[in-house]
Amino acid sequence: MKLQRRSFIKLSAAAVGAMGVGGVAVMSNRAKASPWYHKEVKTVYSICENCFWRCGVKVSVVGNRVYKADGYKENPKSRGMLCPRGQGAPAQTYDPDRLKKPLIRVEGSERGSGQYREASWEEALDYIAKKMLALKESHGTESIAFFGHGTGDFWFVDFLPAAWGSPNAAKPSVSLCTAPREVAAQYTFGRAIGGHEPIDWPNSKYIVLIGHHIGEDTHNTQLQEFSEARKNGAKLVVVDPRFSTAAAKADRWLPIKPGTDTALLLAWIHVLVSENLYDREYVEKYTLGMDKLIPHVKDFTPEWAEQITEIPAGVIRDVAREMAAQKPRAILPPTRHTVWYGNDTQRMRASYILNVLLGNYGREGGFYIAMPPFLEAFPTPPLPLVPAAGGCAGPAAVTEQPEGFRPRADAGKFFAQSTAIQELIEPMITGKPYPIRGLFAYGISMFHTIPNVPRTREAIKNLDLYVAIDVLPKEHVMWADVILPEATFLERYDDFVTVAHKTPFVQARFPAHEPLWDTKPGWWIARELGKRIGLEQFFPWQTFEEYLNTRLMSVGLDLETMRQMGTMVQRGRPWLTDWEKEGRLPFNTTSGKIEIYSEAFAAAGFDPLPKYEEPQPVPQGYYRLLYGRSPVHTFARTQNNPVLMEQESTNAVWLNTEEAARLGFKRGDWAFMINPDGMREGPLPVRVTERIRKDAVYITHGFGHKGKGLSLAYGRGACDAHLQNHYTLDRISGGAGLRNNFVRLEKAPRPRLRSVVQIIRERRG
Amino acid sequence: MSEFFYGIPNTEPFWTGLKTLHYVLVGLAGGMAVLAAILTLRQHPDRNRYLWLAGLFILLDMFVLWAGSSARWYFSQFWLFLSFEPRAPIWWGTWGLSSALASVGLILLKTWVPLLKRIPEMLLGTVMLVGGLVALAYPGIALVVNENRPVWNEMMLVIFPVTALLMVLAVAMLLGSAWARRWEVMAAAVTVALLVAYPLTLQGEAREHFMREGLLVYATAGVLVAVALVLFRNPRLAAGLGLAGAVGLRWMLVQVGQIQAPGL
Amino acid sequence: MARLAMLIDLKACVGCAACSVACKMENEVPVGGSRLWIREREMGTFPNLTVEYRPEQCAHCENPPCVPVCPTGATYQNEEGLVLVDYHKCIACSACVAACPYDARFISKAGYVEKCTFCAHRLARNEEPACVTTCPTYARVFGDLDDPDSDINKAIQAAGQGHVLRPELGLKPKVIYVNPPSKQGLTRKEAQL
Repeated sequence: MKLQRRSFIKLSAAAVGAMGVGGVAVMSNRAKASPWYHKEVKTVYSICENCFWRCGVKVSVVGNRVYKADGYKENPKSRGMLCPRGQGAPAQTYDPDRLKKPLIRVEGSERGSGQYREASWEEALDYIAKKMLALKESHGTESIAFFGHGTGDFWFVDFLPAAWGSPNAAKPSVSLCTAPREVAAQYTFGRAIGGHEPIDWPNSKYIVLIGHHIGEDTHNTQLQEFSEARKNGAKLVVVDPRFSTAAAKADRWLPIKPGTDTALLLAWIHVLVSENLYDREYVEKYTLGMDKLIPHVKDFTPEWAEQITEIPAGVIRDVAREMAAQKPRAILPPTRHTVWYGNDTQRMRASYILNVLLGNYGREGGFYIAMPPFLEAFPTPPLPLVPAAGGCAGPAAVTEQPEGFRPRADAGKFFAQSTAIQELIEPMITGKPYPIRGLFAYGISMFHTIPNVPRTREAIKNLDLYVAIDVLPKEHVMWADVILPEATFLERYDDFVTVAHKTPFVQARFPAHEPLWDTKPGWWIARELGKRIGLEQFFPWQTFEEYLNTRLMSVGLDLETMRQMGTMVQRGRPWLTDWEKEGRLPFNTTSGKIEIYSEAFAAAGFDPLPKYEEPQPVPQGYYRLLYGRSPVHTFARTQNNPVLMEQESTNAVWLNTEEAARLGFKRGDWAFMINPDGMREGPLPVRVTERIRKDAVYITHGFGHKGKGLSLAYGRGACDAHLQNHYTLDRISGGAGLRNNFVRLEKAPRPRLRSVVQIIRERRG
Repeated sequence: MSEFFYGIPNTEPFWTGLKTLHYVLVGLAGGMAVLAAILTLRQHPDRNRYLWLAGLFILLDMFVLWAGSSARWYFSQFWLFLSFEPRAPIWWGTWGLSSALASVGLILLKTWVPLLKRIPEMLLGTVMLVGGLVALAYPGIALVVNENRPVWNEMMLVIFPVTALLMVLAVAMLLGSAWARRWEVMAAAVTVALLVAYPLTLQGEAREHFMREGLLVYATAGVLVAVALVLFRNPRLAAGLGLAGAVGLRWMLVQVGQIQAPGL
Repeated sequence: MARLAMLIDLKACVGCAACSVACKMENEVPVGGSRLWIREREMGTFPNLTVEYRPEQCAHCENPPCVPVCPTGATYQNEEGLVLVDYHKCIACSACVAACPYDARFISKAGYVEKCTFCAHRLARNEEPACVTTCPTYARVFGDLDDPDSDINKAIQAAGQGHVLRPELGLKPKVIYVNPPSKQGLTRKEAQL
């Protein structure tokens, strides 16, 4: 059932018109006398940049100010609705803390000391170009790494490094987020999961979420379809050590012992196999390796799993039977952030195998088969390297190294072709396998994302060139040699966002107004820099409109038409039946089938069928540090947004009521979080709650900013990355397992923090 | 049960500072108007002094109201006089204070403006009395209408006028008006009785909140008034204590009462 | 006459605060005050827990206690059943703030009282309130209680019963909650509509 927004009441406009103009308006100079919506409002299509779901939005502009962002129905991401981050997104553009001019670090000053002088774009770009060319001379093009995240990252992490000749380009959205699930999907289905998870929520009847933060990550479309599923009567099971928002909506909550999910999955597989509840026909038709799976799971009984997971065997068995009863409309949707304990690819494999046994891949109520939309790239001379950074849509499928370049500096540390951003830090310090001497940081939050922050700081200190391109003076930005202030998403064009989907689509971003201050769009920066480092041939277009228009011509459109549409939707082939009609299957594995048993893993020395591995135990006196999302914030990007900070201005550490009583924490108390290496974060409020197990504590990610230029974000809450000194490398996917980190809590005095409300009032002058 | 918010409900106190001060001053203003009206109607020799005092307190109160309003520079202030809102206690309070002030002004101006001598003093006195009584009664009513705020129960209808009289009579005693003493003792006695009775009229969480947030001031105010009652042989001290007690009591009731009934 | 009302499905709501932020932006609500906010209530003990996410805002009561106490007539109820404020008449006396049992009103720094208007300016354009159109969980239904065929009446019927906050005050509030997650949800002063 598709829920329809209604056309509604007939309202007499006169009755409402009386408001605000009733009575004598003499001497009334009140703001409300002329709200923005009574002025001349222009509507512009854009793509929200406040999270990475990237909803198509239409924004309401009056002069040089965007007042409101809304979804629009024709866009398959927003479908007319927006989440809180999207609603609050315009506020970032008018943040007085924004980077306003190019900055060059004062010669001779130390990185991190924050001494800068203003520069012209000309000078700043010349400065960077000179250093890049010198590095090329001394250490080769590979000695410059490119890190980035955001819609504009195409220019700085895909295009520019490939044109320049550095394979060392990486996004945190791979090895610090989706790598395990994407690698597992590649080796199981031969297809990516992709940034827009291809789950047919509305038609599903039984949904099992494992550590899934739906409702808290507020990925817009996903939340809408999840709500539809629930309205359509789907049963919901949530597996989480914490009573998450999803758990609050669940029919069953399984408070699992952290790190034991694979055991639970194997036990479910065991029940489906031993009780013969799986979809035999589907398995026989589309898969390989069932014969090896059956003996493999023989001993993984619910009783075995109960010992490990602390979930009663009876419940495990019941859930397995319930999901089997609803197959193929039963599904275990993969979460996005899957780098948990280091054995994550195997956990995701177990989850996919279970899905396959339910026969749901390519069937309604299960996974649909997402296709990318057709849209040609802008024709350029061939790039020396193929862009290889990948993204949350999965690792790039680059399997061969072109001649004349050294392989990526993380090569050999793990099996898959994904890039591991955290593995590119070490070469900056040790020079092994070869030195990385330069770094571009575009839009990412280095000190909030990459684990082992002290190492990252040391690495940055070692560099010969460090360039940051950003909107706000985040802490890592204020370490750069050159800071290039980018125009915000509201002020610029960007390349098209193409989304693999049930109905593949292309969406566009148009500027709502001219860039404020002396800021420039990312594409402009990339092109101007490219011209200075001998890459002019790769930027053959004169204007960005020309670039966009040329790409649109490949699908018979033009830019002006797109300006009125915002989104162009194409047809997809979402179901197996669509593919079978054409006489083929969608699985791009070696065998062309779903590989339950992975020959490739076996050949590489990994378990061809998933096994349970114990997570690192919690040391005495410590709690496992779990982390997640707040619905009103995105990672470490939104903590200086006044509208969102007014909604939630700090994170709090969730502590089980009994543990709180034992440690003497009461409601309203504050704490420091300290890891076994003595790294301390906080103070932050303690949220005494029944909603978490006794062996773990939880904070939302993104707070604890240390950049002094962020007047709202600075010094509020705690940063999980600063406590994650260790990670467990997933040898298959390159993912950095982050949940083998532990903290203890220490009482802290209530800090003397000024309220964000007060600061916002003052900032407005 | 624990709670957590995105955004904040508007639970901050809404009557603070000058607005709370108004709830104290309006007692003095209205009470003094009543006193002056009675003295005028009885042609008492002290009356001129009290007319001046009434005028002064009313002006002071109105100034505080105006200064405490965040709309002080807006025309909207005049809508108090341009609208007819008989259901609104504040509208009554406005007209009560203004009519009392007008009649006080007219009587005092008679000295200089001969034309005004034609207006009968009895009429002005009556208007002043009615206006003063309205001003005396209105704060209690303005609190009681808020059914959602249980600390402000029907007792406010009595406590506010009585403590207002306690205050103005104390002022009269401090000014050496001997006739005030008898009435002051009576007002103090009634106040003490009300103070003993009031907590018994509170129930459940309203009572808990009152006991937690207001008991100290309440008890202190009660003791002051009780001591004043006993100390009537030392009229100035008694008057001072009574005045302080009444002021504290009114302030505290307005502050502590700004709590919603439980249930949200 | 119409009786415009807002239904909020507590089973659907995940407390994401999209409505709250949409309201802030649409109405340029000044920092420090809220026309709409989310209350998250945790009940029970591990592992038998219930969490209720409850958006709260002005209920546009049929018997609004804030209207009679306004000394200047700034707060009024219109023909559509909306309780609105004429900012030009408001003197920021807070009588209405005191009278509101839902903490829905606040005095802005600009010197007048603010509250939810059900986005009256959008209704005039025949658009739904900003909080309704943006809700990613379909938790909100807006419509006319007097129209038996309205979606809101259908939604109340489908849910079986509607609840309002603090019904004992007899205000007939028109923010109606359905499907509270447990009996403990809402409040112990909840009641059938």
